[in-house]
Amino acid sequence: MPQLRTVATRLLALLALAVLIVFGNSAPASGQELQATEYRVKAAFIFKFGDYIEWPAEAFRSPSSPLVIGVVGADAIADELARLSAGRVVGERPVVVRKLRHGEPLSGLHMIFIGRTSAAQLSAALAASKGQPALTIAEAEDGLRLGSMINFVIVSDKVRFDVALSPAEASRLKISSRLLAVARNVVAPAP
Amino acid sequence: MTLDFSRSLRLKLIGVILLTTLAALIIALVAIITYDLRAYHRNWTADVSTQAELVGRMSASAIAFDDARVAQENLELLRLRPQVQAAAIYTARGALFATYARPGATREFPKLPEAEGMRIDGGELVLYKRIVNDKEILGTVYLRTDYELVSRVRDYVGIALATTIIAMLVAMLMSAQLQRVVTNPILAIAGVAREVVQQKDYSRRARKMSDDEVGALVDSFNDMLAEIERRTEELEVSNLELGRHVAERVRVEQEVSRLNVELEDRVRDRTAQLEAANHELESFSFSVSHDLRAPLRAIDGFSQALLEDFPDEVPEEAKRYLARIRSSTLRMGQLIEDLLNLSRVSRGSLDRVAVDVSELARQVVHEIRQRDADRVVEVTIWEGMTVQADLRLLRAALENLLENAWKFTAKAEHARIEVGVLRDREHQVFFVRDNGAGFSMDYADKLFNPFQRLHSAAEYSGSGIGLATVQRIMYRHGGRIWADAKVGKGATFYFTLAAGDADMRETPPQARESPVSPRTPS
Repeated sequence: MPQLRTVATRLLALLALAVLIVFGNSAPASGQELQATEYRVKAAFIFKFGDYIEWPAEAFRSPSSPLVIGVVGADAIADELARLSAGRVVGERPVVVRKLRHGEPLSGLHMIFIGRTSAAQLSAALAASKGQPALTIAEAEDGLRLGSMINFVIVSDKVRFDVALSPAEASRLKISSRLLAVARNVVAPAP
Repeated sequence: MTLDFSRSLRLKLIGVILLTTLAALIIALVAIITYDLRAYHRNWTADVSTQAELVGRMSASAIAFDDARVAQENLELLRLRPQVQAAAIYTARGALFATYARPGATREFPKLPEAEGMRIDGGELVLYKRIVNDKEILGTVYLRTDYELVSRVRDYVGIALATTIIAMLVAMLMSAQLQRVVTNPILAIAGVAREVVQQKDYSRRARKMSDDEVGALVDSFNDMLAEIERRTEELEVSNLELGRHVAERVRVEQEVSRLNVELEDRVRDRTAQLEAANHELESFSFSVSHDLRAPLRAIDGFSQALLEDFPDEVPEEAKRYLARIRSSTLRMGQLIEDLLNLSRVSRGSLDRVAVDVSELARQVVHEIRQRDADRVVEVTIWEGMTVQADLRLLRAALENLLENAWKFTAKAEHARIEVGVLRDREHQVFFVRDNGAGFSMDYADKLFNPFQRLHSAAEYSGSGIGLATVQRIMYRHGGRIWADAKVGKGATFYFTLAAGDADMRETPPQARESPVSPRTPS
């Protein structure tokens, strides 16, 4: 339902509360805790993206090869991701989380999350991952414009995301329409 | 259509058709409705289940990425299914995530989702369906929809009723027309039969309309009518003849009865004439006999006087002649006496009294013995014989019979005479039996005629009037007399003194001898 993506939600408070309930945190929302909540939600989202992405066959050595997620410059999210993915699988694949620094090589990864950083560093990381069959996720204001496939945004204190289809197609990734259905914006390639 | 009894065959036929139609209709409707309701239930539950599955699948990512708005929008799509009253999505933890309610429906949702499954609650179908992705339960879909089984049943009953009524009306109209095919030929026969019975017109025939069993019935009926017609004609002809015969007979009978009346008149006339003539004759005979005695007595008297007064002057030859004159006058006197007796028997009244026949017979025999003391005759008279009769006449009859018996046993070696009676409860037949000369039965019918003699006068004396006199006496008593005899072996005379006693005469007398009757020789 892409046409509905632009409709602003008016149930922000309720949804925020729902998020709190989902993630078991009913404590009052201080600045610190809001930050922690944001990390947890983002980590959960990143983990669940795996269910809606189809990688090309050559991205894995075997059907049971692990799904490798690289987290660049966002250790808190990496920790959270590692915690919630422990013992769980995406499809049939175990999940491996790698903490990376900016500038480290980005090969052998299936998902790359690039934490908050400068536009130049983000561009460099995205450029480095270009051509690889890896889903790139950013949390910058103009993440999609800089070449990221998915970009987290905070809308009314709620974590949402936008999707750009062109870079995903270039990396031979198929994004499920069901994921697109819950994306805030989907940038489709010009016809 | 009238309810005329004679048309009841039509009503029955229509009734049968309507009942059959009704039965078939009910069975068919029940089958169809049952099938449809089952199909409805199956289809609707499958449909709702699919709907829930679809909503769940569609909303899985919305729950995963915590997008209640998308889930809400997914639920809103259920607007296209107006049977859905309400729907909701719960998160894996059981919290309400998104809700939908049909406009007008109550916005009520369970606080927590129940176990997966469906149930029918009144007119509603309630369904819970888990949302599963990769073996992970993401949440639950709640659907509440109309369940129209009851209203459908109601609708169907209405439709079935309407269908039945219409079908029955159509069936009635059709059968009212179609039954004519069956009933018309039968009613035609019935009509002809009724007319035949009412008008007695056996020349009518039923029209044959078909070649089926009714056609065969028509043929048989017509054959029967033809047969009846033929017989009726024959009967009429024979009736006519019979009528003629009857008329003829009536005429003849009338003629006969007329002749009878005439005959009776004539008989009465003749009888009267005869009686008058008889009476005159008897008077004449009586007076003649009576008057004849006076000159006879004179002849006899003067003959005797001649002999007594002139014993010497009359020569011996003349004396002999005179003796013969006297003997002849004696015989003539006897003859006159007998004739007088005969006429006396016919005259005078009949006074029946109780008569001791045994005693009477003994007196008569005694008198005969005194007159002819030389004869030795064994006479047996049964004891205790009695009868209601005229004493004077009965004595005359017994005198005649016993004198005859006495006379005709004169030449018998050992003369025997028996007087007895054969009797049963009502009748008695008396008999006088002797072992004398007897007679030939060839002359038995002439025996009782006056002046009829079976023996010459020289052999046995007698006037020939005695048995005629006896017969007349029996007749006067209403009885009869008859005889049984054999030449040389004796004769038996049987007589009865009352009408009816003669009935026994056909039986041999020997068999009639009553052993209780004492037989004592006198």
